[in-house]
Amino acid sequence: MMKMLSRPAAAAALAATLLMGAILPAAHAATRSLTYAMYGDIKDWDPAIAFSLEVVMLVNVYEPLLWYNPPGSERRFTPALATDWSSSDDGKTWTFNLRRGVTFHDGTPFNAAAAKACLERTMKMKKGAYYIWDAVTSIDAPDDHTLVIHTSRPAPIDLIASSQYGAYMYSPTAAEKGTEWFNEGHDAGTGPYHVRRWDKGQQVVLEKYNDYWGSWKDDQFDRVFLKVATENATQIQMLESGEADFISLVPADAMKRLDSEEGITAQLLPSWKNSQFLINVRKPPTDNLEFRQALVHAWDYSTVVKDIYAGSAVSARGIVPATMWGHDPNIKTPDFDLEKAKRLIEESGVPEDQRKITMAYISTSEEYKNSALLFQQNLKRIGVDVELKPGPWGAIWDRAKHLDTAPNLQSMTWWPTYPTPSDWLIGLFRTEDPTVFNLSHYSNPEFDKAVNEGVRLEGIDRDAAIKQYDKAQQILMHDAPAIFYADLKTRMARRSDIEGFEPNPAYNAVFFYRLRRTH
Amino acid sequence: MVVGILLGVLAITFFLSRVLPGSPVEMMLGAKPTAAQIEAARHELGLDQSLPEQFVLYVADALHGDLGTSLRTRQPVARDLVQRATATMELVTLAMVLAVVIGVPLGVTSAVRRGSWRDHGARVFSIAGMALPVFLIGMLLQMLFYGALGWLPLQGRIDGNVLLDHAFPNVTGFYLVDTALAGDWTAFASAAAHLALPVATLTLAALATVTRIARNMMVEALGEDFVRTAQAYGLPATTIHYRYALKATLIPMLTVIGLTYGYLLGGSVVVEYVFDWPGLGSYVVGALINNDFPAVMGVTLLLATMYLLVNLVVDLLYYAVDPRLRSS
Repeated sequence: MMKMLSRPAAAAALAATLLMGAILPAAHAATRSLTYAMYGDIKDWDPAIAFSLEVVMLVNVYEPLLWYNPPGSERRFTPALATDWSSSDDGKTWTFNLRRGVTFHDGTPFNAAAAKACLERTMKMKKGAYYIWDAVTSIDAPDDHTLVIHTSRPAPIDLIASSQYGAYMYSPTAAEKGTEWFNEGHDAGTGPYHVRRWDKGQQVVLEKYNDYWGSWKDDQFDRVFLKVATENATQIQMLESGEADFISLVPADAMKRLDSEEGITAQLLPSWKNSQFLINVRKPPTDNLEFRQALVHAWDYSTVVKDIYAGSAVSARGIVPATMWGHDPNIKTPDFDLEKAKRLIEESGVPEDQRKITMAYISTSEEYKNSALLFQQNLKRIGVDVELKPGPWGAIWDRAKHLDTAPNLQSMTWWPTYPTPSDWLIGLFRTEDPTVFNLSHYSNPEFDKAVNEGVRLEGIDRDAAIKQYDKAQQILMHDAPAIFYADLKTRMARRSDIEGFEPNPAYNAVFFYRLRRTH
Repeated sequence: MVVGILLGVLAITFFLSRVLPGSPVEMMLGAKPTAAQIEAARHELGLDQSLPEQFVLYVADALHGDLGTSLRTRQPVARDLVQRATATMELVTLAMVLAVVIGVPLGVTSAVRRGSWRDHGARVFSIAGMALPVFLIGMLLQMLFYGALGWLPLQGRIDGNVLLDHAFPNVTGFYLVDTALAGDWTAFASAAAHLALPVATLTLAALATVTRIARNMMVEALGEDFVRTAQAYGLPATTIHYRYALKATLIPMLTVIGLTYGYLLGGSVVVEYVFDWPGLGSYVVGALINNDFPAVMGVTLLLATMYLLVNLVVDLLYYAVDPRLRSS
């Protein structure tokens, strides 16, 4: 070893290596490429299972029968693999006419038999978001281009078919190779891009699918790099240098600065994510209605969204985001009124020495932390002690599920799998046993009835369904099983020379096929 | 004994990781699982069995070379580890070599010219390297060489386009070696460029230790009789210092280098995080945060094995460099 070290040649060789490195060969090919910085790697490649940040890849590689249009669009849906569709009067039979001349990336033709096989596989696997289909009893393929879905109860199959998870069509031939095959980084979609390669922990490369039914124009992107960059400082540097065209991790306080930089656009996009603190209705002292109502009035709504969320949220008006259909417009954000809160606490009859609550939230979130600290200060002024219990999601979720370890307040951010208000009402507040996400441990037969009735009506009479959902939302405002405080916006920053970007809160992703670079 | 140590390490990790709060189930499942899915996942993971039963099952599988499937990456842990370990080893080995190549002469010079400006300079340098947090060094280098100068890449192991247009076969897992074997110098240059900043960061961190040890050992060696004898014979100073005195410091140096290398293999977490380096460090952090038991166990097993191996190699090198050990 020493001999090697004492020779200058070795050192020179090393120096040469480093020098070579310094002459950065960008190796830019003549293809049109786009780079999107992801905060983590793809985990589940099987479209029947994927239920997380995979959506970034999914919407570009796969297609559902229908796409849901952003609120305010002329029509609710854009035809994807179905060109038109209809439902029976009882909402239990849905007929889709399928698009012709479509092939999966493996060459298998897309037809009714393929769609049937694919949906049946998704339902049978019982993984991911399969349960959106749980009303389905059978699927028929009377001819190559007609798919008929039968349900046990009226169900909004058009909405379900546009879900951002669990509704993508994939090649049944490819799927026979199993989940392991997908998890090696393979895809089997019909979308405009196919997965060219996957370098674990580094990048996913999407490449245009030449036989895409939507055809290609010259100025669209041939390649899209989904680069893994876990730290927001890294993502910002990549955007500033032009290495990345889109970044997904933008701290609230960096928005203004980035937007003022030449060549960068930082935008707040509409989203259907919202944040609340769920209040445990079975654990003292929050099992007391007046006490819970007091907490609702002790929350400083405007300071939280203006200062803590730095404008990237608006005060919530109930559990359903205000931009989602079915939101009850009569519901307002409660007042922040400490006098009123104090009065309610006195009226609650909770003895002074028991006015103590615990508050759990995800420790990595600055927003949760600062909101909780502010709340703690305000409650102190009216004689309520708050013990903060931050932790990783897995740990706090586990504790919150069981009454003996559950906190009084639990942070929760929710978004819909497919665009329906029932996602929040069922997921968070309908009676549940065992507890999964109803971490308020809330159970109210009247509320359950309104929700179930709304779900039944959604597939046949939307207006009637909305009435039931309105009722359910009003019950929640009275029962106070949560502090509904923020409708979130998605923070996104991109290079300004990218055009064609249309945000859609129904999908937490960017549709690369629609983008172009201006010169 | 090696087996005993490994079993002990496994047992400690196994039980520790399971008393930590949280459960791996939500990692396995998607964002919004149902109660039935959670139950099925618990069963699949064997979490419905007692801890000792789970441990016995794990060890039995591990003996057959099956380390399970990572809940976070959905890949077999063994395959993940091989890919991650080579990435880390490439980084750490280069950094270690550089730290030795720079640190040893620096230490020798300091020792020879004790109290001179060079000695003080080297000391300030090495203390700074030790005192500055690694992430800070890394980010400063990023801001300078990527942000301000645009000379070097920011993160990752290689340029994404290069992987597509200059695909090279995966032979050793070391990109520098694989690209050189393939004779693809564009890919080689890209891999080298991506290595530069993380290697520099790690080198600075390891340099401090190496320099200080080299200096202290040399100071000791220079006071020995044989050095005075050599000086009396009128041998050139360089020969005395590098040929004879340095040789006497090899044993403790090897120990320190071996330990530092072993430590860096598991301790390059911060550098890997800052540079999005797809190595063991970033893997184990993700695994720990997400209660990814199989991955945590696998990494522990691998690191413990590698640490033992490094120690073994160091012991063997003692024989190689010290004739006294050989003759006895």
